[in-house]
Amino acid sequence: MEHGEDHELRNLLREWSVPDAPPSLDRRVLAGRHSGNAWWRFLLTGSIRIPVPVGIAFVAALLVLLGGTLRQRNAPAPAPSTVSLVDFHPVSDLNVRVIRRHDAN
Amino acid sequence: MTGADFREAYEQHKDLLYRFARRMTGSNEMAEDVVHECFLQLWSGRVAYQPERGPLRGFLVGVTRNLALKRLTRERSFDPLQDDIATCGPLDPADRERGLIVAQAVASLPPLQREALILAEYEEMPLEEIARSVGADLAAVKSRLHRARENLRRMLAPLLESKGRANGTR
Repeated sequence: MEHGEDHELRNLLREWSVPDAPPSLDRRVLAGRHSGNAWWRFLLTGSIRIPVPVGIAFVAALLVLLGGTLRQRNAPAPAPSTVSLVDFHPVSDLNVRVIRRHDAN
Repeated sequence: MTGADFREAYEQHKDLLYRFARRMTGSNEMAEDVVHECFLQLWSGRVAYQPERGPLRGFLVGVTRNLALKRLTRERSFDPLQDDIATCGPLDPADRERGLIVAQAVASLPPLQREALILAEYEEMPLEEIARSVGADLAAVKSRLHRARENLRRMLAPLLESKGRANGTR
């Protein structure tokens, strides 16, 4: 009975037929295959898979590099080459004494 | 994969994959998109075929199946993919064409039952190959197929009965 029902169901299912692949699919697949090789297409639409640890290492390296660049940019500017005269006090008691050689001896 | 290998694979399997995708999605356009994407992935190396894991046909059916389910999930998000125990009531045959009624009945099956039925009944693939293609074990495929047939018998009961009476078996 079960087999008879299966056979009957199978025959009924066969009454629904669908067509084979249309020619438009041939054009899409076979044409797509040739244009799929173009390097510029890969640059525009391609994707690559990278392992998670490599991705993490790459992002970490990028962050370190970025941090270094920012630190360099925010570091205090080197001291200017001009001399500050804020602490300069002019000599108030000017007493010139000429020392000659025989005076020194 | 060389160009010649690819072309041979395409010519050999395109019809089966298209029919499978067509019956799974119920749409010519979606079926064409899905099969196109399947072969594009094969050619670009986004999916890698390993001969030791079974014949190319089963591999391509698996890729097509995943793409079709993704499309179905996106476009009909209310379809419960995991609903293995869903049951369907009988269809009203009215005076429509029998093929259309069968199509509607198959389309009403939950996707996992539908794919098992299409591959087993229409494409006559061995159950082991179906199991490999859909990433399930053999028992699960048998169970889905059994439920699919039960559902179809229930949905198509009016047609099966009239056919039985016409043949004098009931």
